[in-house]
This record gives sequence, structure tokens and C-alpha cells, in this order.
Amino acid sequence: MIRLENVTKEYPGGVKALDQVSFKINKGEFVFIVGDSGSGKTTLFKLLLREIEASSGAIYIEDVDIARIHKSKVPKLRRSLGVVFQDFRLLKDRTVYENVAFALEVTETPKSVIRKTVPALLNMVGLKGYEKKKPNQLSGGEQQRVALARALANNPPILLADEPTGNLDPQRSWAIINLLKDINLRGTTVVVITHDREIVNTMKKRVITIQNGRIARDDTRGEYWHELTHSTI
Amino acid sequence: MSLRTLLYSFSQGIQNLFKNGWMSVVSVMTIAVNVFVIVVFYTVVTNIGFMMTEFEKNIGVAVFFQDDTTEAQILELKAMMEKRSEVYRVEYISAEAAWESFKDKYFGQRQELLAGFGEDNPLAKSASLQISLADISKQGTLVQVLKSEPIVRYVRETRDVTYVVEALNKLVTYVSIGLLIILILLALFLISNTIRLAVTLRNEEISIMRYIGARNMMIRGPFLVEGILIGLIGASIPLVLFYYTYPEVVLQIQKSYAILSDYLIFLSRERILQILIPIALGSGAGIGYMGSRITVGKYLKV
Ligand SMILES: Nc1ncnc2c1ncn2[C@@H]1O[C@H](COP(=O)(O)OP(=O)(O)OP(=O)(O)O)[C@@H](O)[C@H]1O
Ligand SMILES: [Mg+2]
Repeated sequence: MIRLENVTKEYPGGVKALDQVSFKINKGEFVFIVGDSGSGKTTLFKLLLREIEASSGAIYIEDVDIARIHKSKVPKLRRSLGVVFQDFRLLKDRTVYENVAFALEVTETPKSVIRKTVPALLNMVGLKGYEKKKPNQLSGGEQQRVALARALANNPPILLADEPTGNLDPQRSWAIINLLKDINLRGTTVVVITHDREIVNTMKKRVITIQNGRIARDDTRGEYWHELTHSTI
Repeated sequence: MSLRTLLYSFSQGIQNLFKNGWMSVVSVMTIAVNVFVIVVFYTVVTNIGFMMTEFEKNIGVAVFFQDDTTEAQILELKAMMEKRSEVYRVEYISAEAAWESFKDKYFGQRQELLAGFGEDNPLAKSASLQISLADISKQGTLVQVLKSEPIVRYVRETRDVTYVVEALNKLVTYVSIGLLIILILLALFLISNTIRLAVTLRNEEISIMRYIGARNMMIRGPFLVEGILIGLIGASIPLVLFYYTYPEVVLQIQKSYAILSDYLIFLSRERILQILIPIALGSGAGIGYMGSRITVGKYLKV
């Protein structure tokens, strides 16, 4: 599903954010990516989305070398990757319904499909009845659910979440993580970047640890990796 | 561009237009000024062109003959002239006809003053051929040909007048083109700024659209539509202005220069609009599109 082969990313200015990174994520997996601030996690997501291009190495998504696809096919690639961020990135002047519908509108989905899909998505993330609210009338957790509904609107096979619980209290964080687990159980491959030790340790899922742009550890059913580099976090 | 993308681009483009408020108004006005210059330029140039062709047809060259020339000889020359491609029309005015027309023109109602002339025709030698040209630039050659005919006594040309009209036409063209270039640059600058503002206002939305997987046209469409709309709205202002003021302006000119009324023949408003509407809307939309294209190309790299 996702395969990296010796991927190196050097930003202009000489920062090597990723250095010879190789790993493979299979269809239907749930994977955490952990690592210190600045270790290169977000860079990895940006590479997957082809927001930036690797300096060397190859990235395959569903067996397609994403560096080789034509610029005009990049939107198609991105439709296969749902994304959520720490800061939700909702459109503040639009309602919950409109925010989710937006993802379908801009991917040229017929109106009739939009009318059916949006309520189903909101239902799934537990926001039935919130359709007319604006983002500033919602809690952080609720906003993240809207973002999640939007990310799933085009039914992507892969969901990327960059610190989805970074702004949430533990209880709301767990609600989001459980939602991600449900989504994963329905067959979506889920990759979550997180700093939340408790969540990682409780979930017992695969954990890829990045340290200074390199894969430091890759454990199936792993734990948050801290003992070797830091005494505390 | 699919129909759905187009509809989306339209609704978003129109929203942008309103969100941008004053910037949009300023952009619309610059386009309006631009297209106004185009409108004036076009109107003046086509009218001058029209007058010139009318003028050429009406005047052209007058040929007068030696005393002993017979009517048959004149008609022979007339037939010869009519065969030439640059000649539009040849009219034979006999000495009698010239006299009649002279009497009418200068004595009008007071024919009694002419009693002294009796049956004599003081213009006995004034039979002439009035040659109108289809192509005034060939006049010089034609005159040479005419002068080489032994029966021709004198050729009256209208060169000087046509030179003036031609020079005037050129002047109007150059000044208008110069003005247009400056104004188009100004309009491009202002529109691209308006669109840049629109892009900045929607920066967040654009970045979200990008990672959701919106196609390029979907992201750029609204801004291009906004640019084109600014162009079209801007272009319709001078068109409306033209529609209401043209007849009045024509009337004023004809009044002020009544002496020249024979030459001041204007094209009808409808005939000008037939060409002017597509020109104005086309150039408005074109400038609007280009202005927005510049910004979209610069700030919306995908
Ligand atoms: N656009 C950029 N230009 C130059 N350097 C960059 C750029 N983006 C990131 N970096 C650098 O690359 C390295 C990795 O950044 P990245 O954002 O991937 O870290 P991260 O693991 O996501 O960190 P965090 O946990 O704080 O989000 C950092 O040193 C960062 O300063
Ligand atoms: Mg990051």
C-alpha cells in the first residue's frame, strides 16, 4: 500500500529532514509514527502527498511510483489519501455540513451524491445534529471529527493523521483515536503521527520511530520509544 | 473543464468578486476606461474610414476636355475608364447639364437674373467626366493615364483633401494605440492585484482544496472567472455609455460643422455596435483573463 525505498529529503538550505528511509505499510494496517520534534514526521506526510518531492529514493503508493506520475494526476493521488491535522483546518465561514460537502464539491461529486454522503459521514463521526454549526461553536474534539469526516469524504483507502490529538484533552483524544480504530476496522489503512505516549502504549499497534530523519525502530505491536534516547519525555 | 467545474468556478468567482469589494470596483473601472478608449478609437476610425470611402466615391477625379472634343470621344474615354479596376464609377456631365446644375445651385429661385444669358451656355466647354475611385491610392497613376490622353485638357484632383483625411486617420490610430498600451498595462496590473487579494483571502481554502485532491482547474477556475467577469462588467459600462451618447454626439458634430455636412456621413449606432460589442466584450474579457492568469500562474503553483 505504502512503500518507501531509501528516501532522502534535503530541504533547500541543507536540512536533511529524512535520510535513507525505507519501510512498507500494508493494506489495512494501523501504524503510529513517533519521534522527537523536528525528526521528519511531517516531512514524510508531505512527501506522500507529493506536496514536496524526495531528493532521492522512491515512494510507491498502491504500487505507483508517485515521483513518476504526471502533475495532472497528482489530485488523483491525493484523493486516495485522506488527511487530518493537529489544527483541524476547517473553513471558519462555513458550517459543519458545508465543510464536509466542500471536499466532495471540489472533487466534482454530483449534488445528489453529496446530499446522501455528508449526513452519513457526520453520523459516522458522531456529529448528527451539528450540521448548521460553525467551527467556532464546536469543541476541539468536535472540530477534529468534522475534519475527519471531510478527510473520509472521498472514501480514500489511506488515512494520514498528523498529530490529530495534539490539541485535545485525553478524553477527547481517546474518542478520536477510537474513531480512527473504527475507520481502520472498515478496511482503511491508517497512519497516525503522534506524541501521545499513553495512546501508543495502550493501542499496541505497529510503531515506526523516526530519529533525526532515520528509522530508529519499527515494531509491530510496539510501544512509545523513549527509554533508549531519553530518560523522560 | 467539466460543467460542474464551470458552475463551481462561476459561483465561487462571483462570491470572490463581492468579497473583494473596492478592489473589484477599481478593477472594473480600469477595464471600463480601457474599453472606453477602444470604443472611442473604434468609432472614430470606422467613421473616418466610412466617410473616406463615401468621399472617394463622391469626388474622385474630374476630367475636362479640349475645345474640339466631341461627345463621342468623351464617351469612348468613359467606356475605357469604366473597364479599370480601381475605378468605381464614371459619370458624364455634358456642358448643358453642368450649366443647369450651376443655375440651380447659384441662382435658385431667381432665374430671372439669368435672362441675359439667353440660350448661350457660358459653360459650353465644361463637359466633364466625374470619375470615382474604389481605391484612392491608385489616383496618381490614373491621373497620369488621363493626362496622356490628347483630348484631355485638365484633370482636377482631390489629392490634398484625401491626404488630410488619411493623415488624420493615422494620427488617431497612433494616439489611440499608445494610450491603449498604457491603459492595458495599468489594467493588467490592477486586475492581477485584485486577484492576488482574492487568492490571499482564500489561501486556506486553496491549501485545503489541494490536499483534498481538487484538480487544477477547480482551484484556478474561480479566479479566472472572477477576472473575466471584471472584464465583462467593465466592458459593458462604455458600451452602455456609447449606446446612449452616440446619436447625440453625431448630431452635435453635424450641427457644429454644418458646412461640411456633405462629407460628415456617420455610420449608424446599430452598425457600429454590431462590431463594437464583440470587440469591447472580447477585449474586456481578454484583459481580465490575462490579469488573473498572471497572478494565478504566479501564486497558485500546484
Ligand atoms: N520547508 C522547510 N524548509 C526547510 N526546512 C524544513 C522545512 N520544513 C521542515 N524543515 C526542517 O526539517 C526537519 C523536519 O521537520 P518536520 O516538520 O518533518 O518535523 P516533525 O517531525 O514533523 O516535527 P514536529 O513533531 O515538531 O511536528 C526540521 O528540522 C525542520 O526544521
Ligand atoms: Mg510535524
